[in-house]
Amino acid sequence: MSTRESNDDRIALLQGTLDLLILKSLVFGPCHGQGIARAIQAQSEDTFLVEHGSLYVALQRLEEKKWIRAKWGVSENNRKARFYSLTEKGREQLVEKTGEWRRLTRAVGLILDASGPQSEEA
Amino acid sequence: MFTRKRGTDDFAEEITAHIELEAEQLRRDGMSAEDAQRQARRKFGSVRAAQERFYLHNRWAWLDSLVRDLKFGFRGLLESPGFTITAILTLALGVGANTAVFSVMNSVMLRSLPVADANRVVYLRTTNPPHGTGTIDSTRTFSYAAYDALRGQTGAMSALIAFVPLSGSKVAVRYGTQPEEAEGDMVSGSFFSGLGVKLERGRGFTDQDEKDHAPIAVISYDYWTRRFARNPDVLGTTLYVNGIGLSIVGIGAKGFEGLEDAHSTDFWIPLQNRPELNAWGNPLENGKTYMGNPTWWCLQLIGRLSPGVTKSQAVAQLQPVYQQAAYIGLGTPPPGEQKPALSVVDAKGFPGYAEMYGRPLQLLMGMVGLVLLIALTNVVMLLVARNASRQREFSMKLALGAGRGDLLRQLLTEGFLVVSTGGLAAWVFAVYATGALGAWAQIESSLAPDGTVLRFTVCVLAVAVVLFGLAPLRIALSAGPTLVQKTSSAASASSRGSSHMGRMIVALQMTLCVVLLVGAGLLIRTLRNLENTPLGLKVDGLVVFGVNPQIKSLPQGREFYRELIEKMRGLPGVDSVTIMEERLGSGWSDNSAMLVDGKLPDVPDGGSRTVRSNVAGPDFFRTLGVPVLQGRDFRGSDTATTPMVGIINEEFARRFLPNQNPLGHTFGPENGMAKVTIVGVVKDHKYRSIDEDPIPMAWYMYAQIPVVSRMEVELRVQGDPLAVLPAARKAVQQIDPKLPLIRPMTQRAQFDTTISSQMLFARLAGFFGLLAVVLVATGLYGTLAYRVGNRTAEIGIRMAMGARRGQVLWMVLRDSLVLTAVGVAMGIPCAILMGRALASSLYGVKPLDGASFLLAVAGVAFVALAASAMPARHAASVEPLVALRAE
Repeated sequence: MSTRESNDDRIALLQGTLDLLILKSLVFGPCHGQGIARAIQAQSEDTFLVEHGSLYVALQRLEEKKWIRAKWGVSENNRKARFYSLTEKGREQLVEKTGEWRRLTRAVGLILDASGPQSEEA
Repeated sequence: MFTRKRGTDDFAEEITAHIELEAEQLRRDGMSAEDAQRQARRKFGSVRAAQERFYLHNRWAWLDSLVRDLKFGFRGLLESPGFTITAILTLALGVGANTAVFSVMNSVMLRSLPVADANRVVYLRTTNPPHGTGTIDSTRTFSYAAYDALRGQTGAMSALIAFVPLSGSKVAVRYGTQPEEAEGDMVSGSFFSGLGVKLERGRGFTDQDEKDHAPIAVISYDYWTRRFARNPDVLGTTLYVNGIGLSIVGIGAKGFEGLEDAHSTDFWIPLQNRPELNAWGNPLENGKTYMGNPTWWCLQLIGRLSPGVTKSQAVAQLQPVYQQAAYIGLGTPPPGEQKPALSVVDAKGFPGYAEMYGRPLQLLMGMVGLVLLIALTNVVMLLVARNASRQREFSMKLALGAGRGDLLRQLLTEGFLVVSTGGLAAWVFAVYATGALGAWAQIESSLAPDGTVLRFTVCVLAVAVVLFGLAPLRIALSAGPTLVQKTSSAASASSRGSSHMGRMIVALQMTLCVVLLVGAGLLIRTLRNLENTPLGLKVDGLVVFGVNPQIKSLPQGREFYRELIEKMRGLPGVDSVTIMEERLGSGWSDNSAMLVDGKLPDVPDGGSRTVRSNVAGPDFFRTLGVPVLQGRDFRGSDTATTPMVGIINEEFARRFLPNQNPLGHTFGPENGMAKVTIVGVVKDHKYRSIDEDPIPMAWYMYAQIPVVSRMEVELRVQGDPLAVLPAARKAVQQIDPKLPLIRPMTQRAQFDTTISSQMLFARLAGFFGLLAVVLVATGLYGTLAYRVGNRTAEIGIRMAMGARRGQVLWMVLRDSLVLTAVGVAMGIPCAILMGRALASSLYGVKPLDGASFLLAVAGVAFVALAASAMPARHAASVEPLVALRAE
């Protein structure tokens, strides 16, 4: 039997989107990888499944871009974990990307919500 | 980049922590400890895969983005093949031409010898050689006595090496039975060891070999390859040179072609002292070889400075020894004679050729540099135009979150792709071009681009990459993320600034084009003048070759040539035959003062007494087609037993026997050893080279003078002159089966060698001019087409407002005519400077040659009109309604 989980209600994340979501989840303070994954999944009402492997690649990428930084620390239940936090640059990016995302979704929404094609004069 | 990379262990720890945290959470959600652990692992997926991805990401991130950039660049370039091909071709021609010319300049002027520690190796030079000596080159050759004295001084130079060719051209060799010809040098025993030239196989020479005049030879790697197909068994076999057997003991290092200017030496032998192997293949003088003859300065010297000794120290130390040695065997210097002074120069390039080609090569380098400038600006303009039309694409990318750095990287990648492809093509082009250049310049040694040339080319290309990346970036960035929201192509018309820049560049290109065309015009007219210079003889139908028989005695030598002439006359198709000592048009001549009627002639105003003399055979002037003005030609009946006769040219008579009948007067060498009666006066004609001025000349009859040696045989034939050679070869070998024909060629080709540098420069300059024209045409066409494209809407509006097609046509043409006028106005003063710089390379053309200037201006104007015709027609054919609706 296949061990692969198939869940049609969940949406695979676009790369850029995952970056945005990670940044967003760090707004409220430093967090470790597992916490970020949980937060995204929970806050999207379980719509987004974060593949953990991809998550770490994304974290690594953001760290390289210096949008986030990481430090080893101790979790609330006394476990050692690597904590990520937003940098100043990351904060700027979050604002910018959020704005872009809003514009994009609004535009897409406008198109999708439009009341049918307008008839053209022949 | 500067932060420490995370280790894989650190990452593994993070994953473990993640799984632990997840499991704990699941336990808190009510799962059993075991299930929670399993579920957490499952949820994470493959730990190993994650680790691999982490590792690969770290490792290959830069490569990955590079590959992505390259792919992207390729795709972008393939989308506009017209642009890509034009840019690559432009670069290949521009950079390739520069590489080729630089490569030649490098070989001729800059390249060090391929020897160990080359910057410690120097050529020895002298000022005026002592009175009464004969030299090969008045500053570069020394007597054997001077060499022998200098090398005894061990302090200044750790090695002092003499070298001298066995012949002025090629020497007769035989390996097995077949006679051949090859280039050989006699050298000091320290030749290979002192220069630090390694041997591919076998051994070099020793001082003992030099002392013993050992009959051994080292062949060059190139000759080994060419003649012996790199057969290692050649070592120990015998090579016969002028009939003397020499055992091959070594093969020179690959790439070492010897020290003879622009020639590739085939073999070296230790300095010899026997008549068959005299320096330059000359006959003995008073029974002495170059070794015993202090008046013949024929050896070139090269030395390696001792460690820690500077050039000036070495010269200071050798000077007194040299000034004494220079007079060995010559007696005391006449009063007032300046003693010769020794000096040293870096052993670089081909010293003889550097004099002949140096200045023209520098000028050509300048010209080809202008071509490169045109080529680079052209590609920049193409890129700017292309990227301006991609502003919407860039704007879109910026809007989608691409950083400016990403855009820069993309542009640099595209630039890099164009430049590297173009550069590769340029290199291939240059390798072939240097081959052609070498052939035109009569340079036998390899001119192939080397490491220095490669560095030069890579530098040029690096500049190109940066230029091509940065120039269009301004436009790309000026797009900004907001431009994409505008939908009209009218937006692009806002780039007035960049188009202004483009016009300036086109005007500048026109300027350079005028300069190049004027230069090309002057040099091509020079070549035409040279080619059309009357030689004073009927050169077509003449074929010439050398023979160097073994001469045991004077009568035997004379008999050999009498028989040879007889045999040649009998060949089918041969009209007449003669022989001479110095081949016409070979650049060689025997120059000296002469006694006329027993005394040095009076020349007004301290003019030159120099006479060029040659030794000729019967029917000499009839064969050459030189009119005999007075008296007669040499005859077969002029022999050792009849009175000695000589023939002079008009210039001789005019200068030394003015206003009298020269027939019956006498002339002879300065030492008074012989006296010949003038029996003929011939019309002036070219002797040494095409561009010489008339000079007094005198001829002796070969059968009457006390020396006979190597001769040049000249045949006047019907039909193709070269077709007679196989029969001639057979006839020569009937007399002596070991004799090869040396350098057989038509007399026309022989004369052409004397203008090879002018041919080279005219052809190259013509090519550069053509290249400039083509480049300027494409540049102008591209700029205008782009501008017209951008102004389609404007033109549409103009036409809708009532502008006629003629007016639109004129609008575009006027644009390019203004550019041309500006370019020409700037170009003419520059071209005048160019003409001045070229002055010394011109023949029969003034630097301010009106025709060349007119043609250049007309050429540029024509190109401008031709290149703008299509965009103008396109503009005039704009349909106003279509143009407006497109908005």
